[in-house]
Amino acid sequence: MTTPMLEIRDLHVRIEEREILKGVNLVLPKGEVHAIMGRNGSGKSTLSYVLAGKEDYEVTSGEILLDGENILEMEPDERAAAGIFLAFQYPIEIPGVATMTFLKAAMNAQRKARGEGELTTPEFMKAVKEAGSRLHIDSDMLKRALNVGFSGGEKKRAEILQMALLQPKMCILDETDSGLDIDALKVVSEGVNALRSPERSMLVITHYQRLLNHIVPDVVHVFSDGRIVESGGKELALELEAKGYADFDENAAA
Amino acid sequence: MAIAFPVRLGPAENTLIEQLNAAGAADQAERLAGAGLPTRRVETYHYTDLKTLLRSVPPLAGAATSASAPALEVPGAFQLMIANGAVQAHGTAPAGVIVGKAEGSVLTTRDDVIVRLNTAFAKESLVLNLEGSVDPVIQIDRRTEGPAAHASSSARIFVADNGSATIIETYSGSQEAHLANHATYVDVGANANVTHITVDLSAKASTHFATVEYQIGENAKLRSLVIHASAALERTQIFSRFAGEGAYADFTGLNLVNDGQHGDITLNVNHEVPNTGSKELYKQIARGRSRAVFQGKIVVERDSQKTDSKMMMQGLMLSDEAEILSKPELEIYADDVVCGHGSTCGKLDEDWLFYLVSRGIPKEEAETMLVRGFLEELLDPIEDEALNESLKAIVDSWLLGK
Repeated sequence: MTTPMLEIRDLHVRIEEREILKGVNLVLPKGEVHAIMGRNGSGKSTLSYVLAGKEDYEVTSGEILLDGENILEMEPDERAAAGIFLAFQYPIEIPGVATMTFLKAAMNAQRKARGEGELTTPEFMKAVKEAGSRLHIDSDMLKRALNVGFSGGEKKRAEILQMALLQPKMCILDETDSGLDIDALKVVSEGVNALRSPERSMLVITHYQRLLNHIVPDVVHVFSDGRIVESGGKELALELEAKGYADFDENAAA
Repeated sequence: MAIAFPVRLGPAENTLIEQLNAAGAADQAERLAGAGLPTRRVETYHYTDLKTLLRSVPPLAGAATSASAPALEVPGAFQLMIANGAVQAHGTAPAGVIVGKAEGSVLTTRDDVIVRLNTAFAKESLVLNLEGSVDPVIQIDRRTEGPAAHASSSARIFVADNGSATIIETYSGSQEAHLANHATYVDVGANANVTHITVDLSAKASTHFATVEYQIGENAKLRSLVIHASAALERTQIFSRFAGEGAYADFTGLNLVNDGQHGDITLNVNHEVPNTGSKELYKQIARGRSRAVFQGKIVVERDSQKTDSKMMMQGLMLSDEAEILSKPELEIYADDVVCGHGSTCGKLDEDWLFYLVSRGIPKEEAETMLVRGFLEELLDPIEDEALNESLKAIVDSWLLGK
């Protein structure tokens, strides 16, 4: 069997005294898209932050393997260079940092970490223009400071633009549908779908089924009280939508 | 009956008294012997206790016999130099620039020890008369060269009515424990438009004092920028006077202090006539065990109706031991004015950092990006491109710990 893109083994995570993740197990093969569904506060976003390497969390036991390599000891920038990308639920506004400066710094930092040469300015401009046009991102938006004054939809499109430029092999989309109207959801989903490939895996975190009509997952996992309590095909999402999470909470308690 | 206890004098004070006597300023020597250097009990020196901070004073500077490499070269700038207090020969002045010399210091008499010392010791002043639209940036390159020395320099800049000019003053020299005390007087004529920048790049072990006076004429525009980026002990004091209606000024500054350093920017803005405006924006970044001080005082005189003034200090602490102090003061005697002040202080936002780092940007580079962003609004208004680049380079090299 080939090495999965992402393997999470019995992951336990706490913030201060509170345990948030209570033994997460997940195998995500290369080229597949898995969805994680669960109600607010079930630990889904914590999982995404822990994968990206945010400091505030203490991993008490377990392993995270990216393409067979344990990434728990790696800094967030090293994880990014290794291919992890987290599309944030709430992309942060950073005044004073120009979007283009940021994009170029990120692309070149990852290239450098992988031992590749820096992009020339024309190469960079071309890449941004191409990726931007697919996401309806115009040059006016790119001239602004990073995410500053962007609408909810613009922020999410900017996240997907970064994903398209950085070409990560493991994408984590945290509540990418939140704050999006139907049209914006379509643009974002098309952007994500265009990036699906046999060499790239995605973990789509959401609590609404609606996103999964656009980004159709191979597997759906139900998350409850800090772990995965059930996994199934995409029809599981529909079942959840119809029944709610209550039934699954009982499984978690058992 | 009040009993006056004699002030106990330290080595710095004793040396200064000797030097004042040698320079023929016996009255100043006597005054210093009586009062000593200001301590924290003197309001304007409360956060910069010179009696404690100034441990010793090097001998008075002789003529500079050699020059170190320029600390800052602004491409295309017209350069003037003052070395160890003496005005040096210069190249051909561009159109609209007349360069001269005058005896003594240029500062207005006031009750301040730094001003008094400069007045006692500065033998001559560079005098610049600027007319019309002066095209190249003018750089006044002030040096303290040779072995550790106590040097005082002075310059007076007149910008004629309707004139415009950009002037940058840099302070540098040999890597010794100098005490340098610089004076500048800038007279901005009616309808004139002036950018005046001072950048301390002097030796790391040195003490840097600078006093800048501005006189702002009718409908004139001034942008003032002070950058502290080097000396162990630095204080820049600005005394500004709005003398003509319709004048507007941006007072800005950047106080960068490293481990073991003490930087102080003290600003006094006097709105003395009606219908003037000013905006004060000072930023301080402190690293290691260091102290950054900003004191800003805006005075609005009784007849200065319709004054519009807003002062802001923003501090960024890059270590747990760093100290950032801010003392804004408004003294308003007119009743129809808009005046405000604010002060904030904090660390780099952890969420901002994580966002950048999660995209593969190493932490140090991400921090530098955020600090650059924090400073952008100070440097961006400097329109001359080469000068803007030079200033950014100074800030960058400070950030990279050079």
